[in-house]
Amino acid sequence: MIELGHLAAFLALAASLVQGILGLMGARAMAGRAALVAFGVMAVSFLTLVVAFAQSDFSLALVANNSHTLKPMLYKIAGAWGNHEGSMALWCLVTLGFGAAGALWMRTGRELFEARTLGVQGWLATGALSYLLFASSPYLRLDPAPLQGAGLNPILQDPALAFHPPMLYLGYVGYSFVFALAAAGLMEARIDRVWAKEARRWSLAAFIPLTLGIALGSYWAYYELGWGGWWFWDPVENASLMPWLIGAALLHSVAVTEKRGSFAAWTALLAVLAFLFSVMGAFLVRSGVLTSVHAFAVDPKRGMVLLTGLVVYGTIALGLFALRAPKLEGGKPWQMLSREGALAVNNVVLVVAALTVLLGTLFPLMAEAAGRTISVGEPYFRLTFVPMLAALLAILPVVQIWSWGKADLSMLWKWAAGGVALVVVFMALGVGLWDIPLGAAFGLALGVWLVFGALWELKRRAVSLPRVFRLPLRVWGMTLAHIGLGVFVIGAVVETTQRYESTLALPAGGSGTVAGWNITLKDVRAIEGPNWYADKADITARRGSATAEMAPTKRYYPAARMPTTETAIHKTGTGDLYVALGERRDVNGETRWVFRVYFNPLIDLVYLGVLLMGLGAFFSLLPRGRRKAG
Amino acid sequence: MILRSLFLGIAACLLALTCAAQALDDPAEEARAQSLMRELRCVACENEPISQSSAAIAEDMRARVRVMISDGASDAEVRDWFESRYGEFVLFRPKGKGLEGMFLWGAPFGLLIIGGLIAFGVARRRQAGAAAAEPVAPEDV
Repeated sequence: MIELGHLAAFLALAASLVQGILGLMGARAMAGRAALVAFGVMAVSFLTLVVAFAQSDFSLALVANNSHTLKPMLYKIAGAWGNHEGSMALWCLVTLGFGAAGALWMRTGRELFEARTLGVQGWLATGALSYLLFASSPYLRLDPAPLQGAGLNPILQDPALAFHPPMLYLGYVGYSFVFALAAAGLMEARIDRVWAKEARRWSLAAFIPLTLGIALGSYWAYYELGWGGWWFWDPVENASLMPWLIGAALLHSVAVTEKRGSFAAWTALLAVLAFLFSVMGAFLVRSGVLTSVHAFAVDPKRGMVLLTGLVVYGTIALGLFALRAPKLEGGKPWQMLSREGALAVNNVVLVVAALTVLLGTLFPLMAEAAGRTISVGEPYFRLTFVPMLAALLAILPVVQIWSWGKADLSMLWKWAAGGVALVVVFMALGVGLWDIPLGAAFGLALGVWLVFGALWELKRRAVSLPRVFRLPLRVWGMTLAHIGLGVFVIGAVVETTQRYESTLALPAGGSGTVAGWNITLKDVRAIEGPNWYADKADITARRGSATAEMAPTKRYYPAARMPTTETAIHKTGTGDLYVALGERRDVNGETRWVFRVYFNPLIDLVYLGVLLMGLGAFFSLLPRGRRKAG
Repeated sequence: MILRSLFLGIAACLLALTCAAQALDDPAEEARAQSLMRELRCVACENEPISQSSAAIAEDMRARVRVMISDGASDAEVRDWFESRYGEFVLFRPKGKGLEGMFLWGAPFGLLIIGGLIAFGVARRRQAGAAAAEPVAPEDV
């Protein structure tokens, strides 16, 4: 069975090679067919891997190393991509999937351009498949086959994490097609409105799953690591944030190119960078050069192969860019204070923010090479990245009403007055009444400002309320995404500044108080699951008339010899009461259990905000409905 | 000042360690202690601040922060003490001193200024034709 998959992967490699050669030669139809064939056979190949995992076929080395008969079926299947080789197979499948989708759905009317796009995508797929087959093959047999597998990394045995890698890969690899579009556009030195219209759709198609993938990963870290937080500025998280920031810059830049023909070179550069940052993310995560709590499947040798690929593709693409950028045509004229000018600022800030994340992530490595061990963590990003983005978000409501070419500044003073008033109100309310820090008051004002600004713009576009629903879907998409930003900011500010955390050491029957909640430990029982056993605490939490039964659990996976935390979360409507079970302590013959208790106010808004951004991008991607102009 | 708080810290250590796992009585001091715990790195863990780690050493480090804070040490004194004891590695907020430190902290803002200047330069070059720019209301985005 798996030999069939192995053979299919070689066929996919051959088809990709054909796609790469024919595509660059300009044979659109043939390259398209090759792309479909490559995707088809790779799908078969991937399916054989999944089946091997589902059947716990331990004669396959990958299954033996990463699976176990006692695992629930969902995680057996998810185990197919919950390891290095399998996830690379998924990477290849998605690369070929985007090639096939492109072959079917590209609509530019430019045959040579589309053929070359498929050609470049074919070469990217060839690289990925060669890496899979020759550097990290998932298809290898074991002889003799062991009777039992070593088990999946237990912290990956979780529904959010089963779907987090495929989502993230859809995003990362989606940018490979954007990269191919940019390379093909640069070859003919034609990055124009038609090009941008096509590239924009694929940029959105990559941005949506990347956004959702990051949200899933963050939510997983929130409830599985038991630390109470949702973003740790961990290198692996940063690796996914960088392409997201570049991708967000690209969405704004490509809109300028689509509507006005301007920013052509810059958009092409971002399209190339989005993919390079994605591959670099994979390199940083997989090579083990950085220590991380998320990293799994680390191997320095493979890191070198990935790095080489990154350098080769990056050099070719950037070289092509340097040759062709001066030949690209400019668009319609614009003044400094215009929609174009505002979006230029957006792009500068987003790209510098991505570079800041890059610097903060790599600096410890550079320092280590110089013989110093330095840590760069949350405080660094809080003091550099956060103010940068806060300033960008602060001007968003003001500039999003600006016209292309030249802004009408007559409303400017009203906006300025409104913004200042909002900040004053929040400072008076926040610092005076609610007793929150000054920075938090600013942050809350910013969040409200963003939501208000997005709604205001919607109203302004619609002129009258009934027409709101006849606005183009793209306007709705933009509005939702910007509301999402505001909701995210409110959630993030309240959560990080008002979070309450404490540790309790309780004997059975004992109780303690955290953030107004009285926590009583009833009992701790030993329970057993399919491939783990656990200590499960029964807790009653009370505040006023509200009561919650909670069961924080600590699991132990004998096959992997590893504990995991299963936190208990009680949603109160205004926040999460979050309890994680820690270790057991015996003091003077009395057994006490340590609990880490958090109250995370408004944390749901963080995720709601990100989901709204993803939903907004989805609305923007929907085909333009034939709506009657009202 | 550092020496004094250090000495007091050590003197109070045995007494305090038993109760320092609990929050400090003064909420303002506790808040300061917690924010410091979030920026000190646990020396036995992968990539965690001591506020999150359940390692024994992290607990000792948390207790130490609380003891120093309740003895009146400033945030900087606490950071300095941990740095002298465990090295720069424990500071998640790297120092801005020296060439590297200035680069690390200055580069983001330097890049922002450079990026801004480039954008400004491009806009200026277009200024010649831009006088003729007509405002066009965005049709969708």
